Amino acid sequence: MKAIFIAFDEAYYDRIVEMLQLLNCRGFTGWREVQGRGSKTGEPHYATHAWPSIASAILTVVDDRRVDVVLDELHQMDLATPKLGLRAFVLPVERTI
Amino acid sequence: MSLYSSSVKRPVTTILIFVALIVLGLFSLRSLPIDLFPDVETNTIMVMTSYAGTSASDIEQNVTRPLENALNSVEHLKHITSNSRENISIVTLEFEYGYNIETLTNDVRDKLDMVSSMLPDDANTPIIFKFSSDMIPIVLLSVQATQSMPGLYKILDENVANPLARVDGVGSVSIAGAPKREIHVYLDPLRMEAYNLSVETIAALIGAENRNIPGGTFDIGNETYPLRVQGEFSDPQQMGNMVVGMSPMGGVVHLSDVARIDDSLEERAQESFNNGHKGAMIIVQKQSGANSVQISEKIAKELPKIQKNLPSDIKLGYIVDTSDNIRNTIGSLVETVLFALLFVGIVVFVFLGRWRATVIVLVTIPISLIASFIYLYATGNSLNIVSLSALSIAIGMVVDDAIVVLENVTTHIERGSAPMQAAVNGTNEVALSVMASTLTLIAVFFPLTLVKGMTGVLFKQLGWMVTIMMVLSLICALMLTPMLCSRLLRLNVGDTKIFQKVYGPILKVLNKIDDFYAKVLDKCVAHRWITTATALGVFIASMFLMKFVGTEFFPTNDNGRLGVSLELPIGSRVDLAKDVSQRIFKEWTQKYPEIQSFNYTVGQASSDNTFASMQSNGSHIISMNIMLNKSNERKRGITEIAGMMREDLKNNYPELKRAMVNVGGGRGGGMSGQNTIDFEIYGYDFTKTDSVAQRLKRILEKIPGAADINISRSDYQPEYHVDFDREKLALYGLNLSTAATALRNRINGTTASYFREDGMEYDIKVMYDPEHRRSISDIENIMLYNTMGTGVRLKEVGTVTEQFYPPTIERKDRERIITVSTVVQDRAMSEIIAEAQPLIDKMDKPADVMIQLSGSYEDQQDSFGDLIVLGLLIILLVYIVMASQFESFTYPGIIMTSIMFAFSGIVLILLLTRTNLNIMSMIGGIMLIGIVVKNGIVLIDYINLNRERGMSIRRAVINGGHSRLRPVLMTSMTTILGMVPMAVGTGVGSEMWRPMGIAVIGGLTMSTLMTLLFVPTMYTIFALTGIRRTRKKLHDKNKK
Repeated sequence: MKAIFIAFDEAYYDRIVEMLQLLNCRGFTGWREVQGRGSKTGEPHYATHAWPSIASAILTVVDDRRVDVVLDELHQMDLATPKLGLRAFVLPVERTI
Repeated sequence: MSLYSSSVKRPVTTILIFVALIVLGLFSLRSLPIDLFPDVETNTIMVMTSYAGTSASDIEQNVTRPLENALNSVEHLKHITSNSRENISIVTLEFEYGYNIETLTNDVRDKLDMVSSMLPDDANTPIIFKFSSDMIPIVLLSVQATQSMPGLYKILDENVANPLARVDGVGSVSIAGAPKREIHVYLDPLRMEAYNLSVETIAALIGAENRNIPGGTFDIGNETYPLRVQGEFSDPQQMGNMVVGMSPMGGVVHLSDVARIDDSLEERAQESFNNGHKGAMIIVQKQSGANSVQISEKIAKELPKIQKNLPSDIKLGYIVDTSDNIRNTIGSLVETVLFALLFVGIVVFVFLGRWRATVIVLVTIPISLIASFIYLYATGNSLNIVSLSALSIAIGMVVDDAIVVLENVTTHIERGSAPMQAAVNGTNEVALSVMASTLTLIAVFFPLTLVKGMTGVLFKQLGWMVTIMMVLSLICALMLTPMLCSRLLRLNVGDTKIFQKVYGPILKVLNKIDDFYAKVLDKCVAHRWITTATALGVFIASMFLMKFVGTEFFPTNDNGRLGVSLELPIGSRVDLAKDVSQRIFKEWTQKYPEIQSFNYTVGQASSDNTFASMQSNGSHIISMNIMLNKSNERKRGITEIAGMMREDLKNNYPELKRAMVNVGGGRGGGMSGQNTIDFEIYGYDFTKTDSVAQRLKRILEKIPGAADINISRSDYQPEYHVDFDREKLALYGLNLSTAATALRNRINGTTASYFREDGMEYDIKVMYDPEHRRSISDIENIMLYNTMGTGVRLKEVGTVTEQFYPPTIERKDRERIITVSTVVQDRAMSEIIAEAQPLIDKMDKPADVMIQLSGSYEDQQDSFGDLIVLGLLIILLVYIVMASQFESFTYPGIIMTSIMFAFSGIVLILLLTRTNLNIMSMIGGIMLIGIVVKNGIVLIDYINLNRERGMSIRRAVINGGHSRLRPVLMTSMTTILGMVPMAVGTGVGSEMWRPMGIAVIGGLTMSTLMTLLFVPTMYTIFALTGIRRTRKKLHDKNKK
């Protein structure tokens, strides 16, 4: 089991949830509105006057074999619309109940 | 869920809401009446009191003054004026505009009840009249007749006046120029004396003979029969056979032996001429509050039916139809609005370059405009100049909110969001600032609804209309625009070749303008003190130019209607008046081909002509109604023609004592006629004020532009007085009133009885034959009889002397007054006053005589005062809205500098186009306050954003300017081009709204250009000082 943390522009939210569903990754935890900015070129998403856009985040825990598929899909999305901004990070899951 | 996300998610509901609005709006539009101006409720009440047998000064002392003193305390009273004439006192109360006239009438009635015990016993109870512009006739019909002329009055009364009076909304129908039938018994005084008969005896006999008397009922067997004596004459000539007395020889004297029976027309009547032919005139006045256009349409529908019932030689035609002008004016204004729509559409397309985007934005216009008709319908208003100008003004502004929303949604889509999400998020981001910018505009237009006075009445509607349209456009921008964006917009997949060909060059030009502006702005910011100094210099210089701009009250409306009233010396015979008018008619119809119809009336009006009895009339007075063709079909304007006519009257007709040419039909018509300046001379002493008035008139005559100068006090009228010697009268067994009545019966005649025929009644008047009442000796030889029947000649008991009748005594605000009034022609009102004032101040006048200015000048001063206060209030409100939006005191201050340049722009364009500053251009200026700050807001907002994103001040300013130039230019261009049709329009009535269009165009152009350069510069100066201050503080802290 691996956890994937996805941080992205709010506009992706519905598409990502749908994509996870299609890939049989049912479980996820999402935050509709979170703030943040990319490390290099990523535009700040602060929902302020200067930076009106806002980011969302999804944490999903998937089987190891699905990690690559999910990351590939996310990468495709990011390449199609790079200006929005989308990043995913894979973390180990040590224990679940 | 927010407004926009729910409307994006429920497109059907959203669309149907707006469809419903449009349907309701169109339904309202269908039932909206058309009018020239918003319904200005009357603000005048007239109190008329008659007190028979008293002179003007007695009336003034005993009736007018007590009334004035009592009525003066009625609330909201602006002026109280009065007219004291022989036998009658007329007190006119002028109230502030905007109060309910019914309540005021009740107040007046209460006061009259209080004062009635103080009035002389013989004075009649005061009568209250509500006076309003409704009294002005809306339709004048001409009647031409040949064979039917003698019976014309009856025919017209039955077949034309009655059916017209039944038309819904018609107040009264009067007939002028068709004398009524009257049966005259002309007595020969010499024969009467021979038979020892008096006028009174004969009149009493006729009255006694011409009667039907019921004799009660009587029974014959089982039946009851009524009994009556039918004594009424069936033919006037039968009267001749009446026995009026016995001759000394014992024979019978018939009426025909001493009198001539003349079955003819009234002796003194108004005669009316239409285009040179004698005929009658029918005057239709509307009921208070009725709509002129609707009534005139109904009349037009009735006329063919009426014409069918008339004898074939009687022809009806129009002299004046006021609704024509209203319809044409509104028609050309509608055209203006449509042009504005087209221009705005073009601007939006050029800047957006996408037809889908253009459609989304333009949809807002019809929705907000049409829905505003619901307001007009609900509040019982009409489509008029003001409400339609409001549409024209709003067209350029209602798109602004939608543009901002659309632009932001497009950015989101371009960044890769799905249209649905882009619509919601994009709208969410700008919702607040869109609301704030709408709020600044509402801060401008809403206060317009609170203005008092005449300006208030006019602009209340403008304020409400624009406020409502702005709110609607905001709702559209937050609901409909996001919904349409989510459905119609898509990521740009590449342009077609045709599109690139058409739009490519436009885009290139736009980009070049952007770059050019960035360069200029860079220079301005670099030399910011020079820029500031230049800009302030421009502003100050333009304020100095202000004094060359003339001012006036209201632009003169060219409705093609001229009213000319002429006076010959008092007492001139009517034939002289006819001759003069005939000559004028001939000269003018040749000289002015613009004249479409020319009608004039001469002579004394009969008392049952409602219209004529409200005006002055008499054998020496001529009144003319001239209709010109449509204003856009002729080269010469109405004021030019009026000016030439004034010259003609002055040069070619020296016999005229007084001549007035009134543009628009009436003098001082407030909103339509030419501007007037009235100089009011207050003072008790007649001779002193008379001489001041004469001198003032001479001063004004020398001032160019002051035309038609008139002194209101009428001439002292010569008249013959019969002074009876009471002792002698008593000696002969007579008293003054029997003697005076006898005199009246012989000259004026006495109505002995009525002749009845076909259900109509005609007066039978007994009087001396006209040939026996032509000289003073005729009067002196009148035989008066005492109760014993002995006769005595008038000259034995009295003398006939010539005397001068005291003039009408006019008063205003409880003081005697003479008004010297002048029409402003081809010059600004302010210039004439500036020239006249020093001369008047220099004038040597008695200490107790005072000169004051009124007329349009007073109205103008009042309204300008109101508008300036309003302007200040609006500036404050706009500041408050902006300060709370930016959460700062400085930025709004910087933005507000653009208002200064708007005013400079107005001054410059008024000078360039030689237009006067009037109410309409002032309103344009006030609207600009809201419009021009929007540019500043857009700029500063983006510069602030750039700084928050971490740019340096200078880069933030240049970059902000570069990227916000298009939105600024776009919103300004939509408003400017929306106004162009108003400013250059040549349609009927365009002179009314041209000043507003010109003012907005000048002000907005100037202010946009200056705002683009000056506001960023000022921003830099203030921001740098701010930074320096914080640095210094930090520095000081570190030192410690």
